[in-house]
Amino acid sequence: MRRLATLLPALALAFAALGARADLLADIRSRGEIVVGVKDSVPPFGFIEEGSRRVVGYDIDFAAAIARGLGVRLRAVPVTTATRIPELQQGKIDLIVATMTRTAQREEQIDFSFRYFVTGQKVLVKKSARIAKVEQLSGRKVSSVRGSTSEQNIRAAVPAVQVVAFSDYPAAFLALSQGKVQAMTTDETILLALQLKASSPSDYVLLDGYISEEPYGIGIRKGETALRDAVNRILLDLEKSGEAKKIYETWFGPKSQLPLKRSFRIESGK
Amino acid sequence: MSKPLDFAFLLSGQYHDALVAGLVTTLELSGLALAAALALGVIVAVLRLAPAAPPRWIAAVYIEFVRNTPLLVQLLFWYFGAPQLLPQPVLDWLYARNFEFAAAFVGLALYTAAFIAEDIRSGVRAIPRTQMEAARACGMHYLQAMRLVILPQALRAMVPPLVNQALNLVKNSSLAMAIGVAELMYQTREVESYTFRSFEAFAAATTLYLLLSLAITAGAAAYEWRATKHRVA
Repeated sequence: MRRLATLLPALALAFAALGARADLLADIRSRGEIVVGVKDSVPPFGFIEEGSRRVVGYDIDFAAAIARGLGVRLRAVPVTTATRIPELQQGKIDLIVATMTRTAQREEQIDFSFRYFVTGQKVLVKKSARIAKVEQLSGRKVSSVRGSTSEQNIRAAVPAVQVVAFSDYPAAFLALSQGKVQAMTTDETILLALQLKASSPSDYVLLDGYISEEPYGIGIRKGETALRDAVNRILLDLEKSGEAKKIYETWFGPKSQLPLKRSFRIESGK
Repeated sequence: MSKPLDFAFLLSGQYHDALVAGLVTTLELSGLALAAALALGVIVAVLRLAPAAPPRWIAAVYIEFVRNTPLLVQLLFWYFGAPQLLPQPVLDWLYARNFEFAAAFVGLALYTAAFIAEDIRSGVRAIPRTQMEAARACGMHYLQAMRLVILPQALRAMVPPLVNQALNLVKNSSLAMAIGVAELMYQTREVESYTFRSFEAFAAATTLYLLLSLAITAGAAAYEWRATKHRVA
């Protein structure tokens, strides 16, 4: 009887500890489904495939790999640059895999995984605008997307620039193609994809020089360390098995629409 | 996990300046669009009530088309669609200036004018037909009768519906952010994106819109009070 009396509090503590460990990762496993916020109009990261009308892309492939690694189904939900972090914080989505750059400011709000893609911010202009250097944008109009890092960075790089921000990349590009703005600035890959989709891609040229380096990370709610560690483990496994490189080759390899050399590896601590 | 509310960043500094700049733009856009919409609304209402059929039909088509399409679609049309029909030199001249504001002004004014025209029409219908008959009997033609007899009576009675349209216009001006106009809602979303303080930013925007609407309502009440001061009944 005395041994039971000492055993019971220990058991109670053990059960309490189990309860404390029931976090988002456990929820996801018990649900059997992970909800991931993705872009749906940013090729080749997240866009709607013409034939099947499904959302596909580099980000979706990584989201699917993470879902497989956790042993759950994937549910991809479209988000925008402005809504992705609020939706994560409110619990509407479990992860953000949506061309999200890791910045110090965002790290105060959410946790990031290791980087799974690296690009840089560049400026796209029409050849007819006769702008050859970023500094020449002083006093001119540049389009971008509301709430993005590109908007802040271009203002820091060229203080006298006039930024006109739209709600999505296609609208910002339409403003450039119609001549309403002289340039558009965002991540290089997004600019390249928009340029290639345009009716006459040779009208446009990317200015040299990165305005900033943009490592993409997967967004996880603050404090969900179990989920973040699991995601990081899966990312490292993908790199080690060569699957990360395969996903990259699918969307950015020599035979793809947007050939870009792979200049990074998924590494621990980066 | 939510941090305590902190409004300090709104009272001074770059975010405060951004919101104030947005408010000023909203005031400019709403004020100009309202003036244009009132003028255009009166013209369209007079056309809608004309004795001749062609002006009536033109006005009716305009009103039905504008009232039954979403304002956002109309704004996108004026900003992205309509300019494609103009010649390039005109476009270059337009785009060198604040074309975003101009397109929003045109879209908002045309949209609100249709609703104002219908409100004026119902105000005019409330005037007894004998007024028009008496005016015509005095030798005035239709336009003179409207200008000197009917409209002055109708407009005084129509202040409540017109205030309604003015308030709608102020709220609708927030849609201009879709075409890049840096008005209050645009600046609020920017501040919210950079500071992540959604509640404080939206509370500030809501308060400012509320103050603006209350000011319009108070102004209209003062006008009504003054206008009816000399009435016997």
